[in-house]
Amino acid sequence: MTQILIDGCVLSANYALIALGITLIFSIINLLNFAHGELFMVGAFMVYYVYGVFHLPFVAGLVVAALITAVIGALFEKFFFAPVMRSSTREENSMLLAVGTALLLDSVALFAFGHEQRGVPDVIPGVMQIAGGFLPYQRLLVLLVSLLLVGVLLWFVQYTRPGRAMRALAQDRDAARLMGVNVERTSMLGFAIGAALAGLAGGLLVTVQGISAGAGPAISIKAFIMIMIGGAGVVGGALLGAVVLGFAESVGYSLLPGSETYLLIFVALILFLIIRPQGIMGHPWG
Amino acid sequence: MLLSIRNLVVRYDRVLAVQEASLACEEGGCIALIGANGAGKSSTLRAITGLVRPSAGEITFAGERIDRLGPAAIVARGVSMVPEGRRVFPLMSVRDNLMMGAHLRRDEAAIRADLARLLDRFPRLAERIGQQAGTLSGGEQEMLVVARALMARPKLLLLDEPSLGLAPMVVRDIAFLIRSINRDDKVSVVLVEQNSRMALRISDHAYVLETGRVALSGPSHELAEDDHVRRLYLGVGAE
Ligand SMILES: Nc1ncnc2c1ncn2[C@@H]1O[C@H](COP(=O)(O)OP(=O)(O)OP(=O)(O)O)[C@@H](O)[C@H]1O
Ligand SMILES: [Mg+2]
Repeated sequence: MTQILIDGCVLSANYALIALGITLIFSIINLLNFAHGELFMVGAFMVYYVYGVFHLPFVAGLVVAALITAVIGALFEKFFFAPVMRSSTREENSMLLAVGTALLLDSVALFAFGHEQRGVPDVIPGVMQIAGGFLPYQRLLVLLVSLLLVGVLLWFVQYTRPGRAMRALAQDRDAARLMGVNVERTSMLGFAIGAALAGLAGGLLVTVQGISAGAGPAISIKAFIMIMIGGAGVVGGALLGAVVLGFAESVGYSLLPGSETYLLIFVALILFLIIRPQGIMGHPWG
Repeated sequence: MLLSIRNLVVRYDRVLAVQEASLACEEGGCIALIGANGAGKSSTLRAITGLVRPSAGEITFAGERIDRLGPAAIVARGVSMVPEGRRVFPLMSVRDNLMMGAHLRRDEAAIRADLARLLDRFPRLAERIGQQAGTLSGGEQEMLVVARALMARPKLLLLDEPSLGLAPMVVRDIAFLIRSINRDDKVSVVLVEQNSRMALRISDHAYVLETGRVALSGPSHELAEDDHVRRLYLGVGAE
């Protein structure tokens, strides 16, 4: 029981980074980022190389993971999405493009990183015992850093000038332009931050679960599930979705064998969406 | 002239919204644009602020061509617009909405002073400073978008149908406010209104737009006496 709670907390915190990232991109650029799981995977590999292979500090790995994925996100936005969304009025175009970017990253990753499953040594070895449950320090680290990053992101969006501009852009594009918000720059920044959150989530979770080049699509699907549960485009919804999915997984894995957990999660999600298609908190972003 | 527009053409795909319209507003002036639905009033304002790019014509502000600039550059030069339909940021607090008006400013101390001054001027906004803007009444939202535009310290304020859908009492408040912004704050004003009576009373010069063209223009008090204007826009005469 305690174990389920502990694992649920660690997963939820990490998933919150993924869900917040995809929510940020969704609300500012109006795009469902199909490559979100791939960005997670790239972040994980950055930590694998910097920390696991080159033996530099783990923090350096996280910084590289964040920077590389942010740059990939910014470049995608500037050179792929911005031109396509400017010239086309059909949403399918940008959606197809998003799928394309995911496939692109998948194949580049397979080529660059190989197909083996990779792992890294513990940053902090050892295990802590709480009320009959085990919490490896490694997972504690993932939990704390994830929570810290979630806090930093929420603070940024709520209290800084660029954060406020992002919210304005998400709520009323023309009104934001009339305030002097630079749409091109703010969209790029939003995509970069969203991508970096995915990269950081991957960079953290690789220390617990390892990574392989093919992991992207499964993570993307988890990201979609979370925003469907919480309601697309809402910060509170993203956090809620992350908690629901994190705990569903930790309960499922401790009670059921292997892959049945996700089967049940999908069935539950479909039933839930029939009752409440907009998610629990579905309305525009705040 | 602070603002002068010469032979402006605005086109959306096949629709010609503004056809060779010319108008001007002097420093400290208040001009009104009146006209029926679809006459091209909003399109004219959107062209001034760079939300749509003119297909032809010239717009100069304070002696400088602005018709090739984007909205951010135009706001930075001192043109603020209150768009049609009270476009508050609905999920943001009243305070954050106001702060968005100062988005391009960096003079933090002066921004705080302006915020305090506006909250004195709009006590109803001050009472609701932490409330989500989407939950304000229509009149309060109109006050908010006007105050938000003032946070940019504009030289020229463009107002698109500020009285639309408001109760007569509130319309009076808004009219009073616009006049005070023009006379006391020395901000030049371009006022677009369906409420032609109100617009002609507040403004010193007016333009009548009909299907994208300036059909008539002149001092507002003269237009208010004009038969054509009285019949079509003030709903009098024609017995
Ligand atoms: N985004 C757009 N795309 C296509 N046509 C447009 C667009 N915006 C306006 N139009 C057309 O341009 C013409 C002028 O519209 P505009 O909004 O400028 O009129 P208006 O005078 O502001 O009308 P109202 O009093 O109803 O607000 C109309 O025929 C309108 O249908
Ligand atoms: Mg209009």
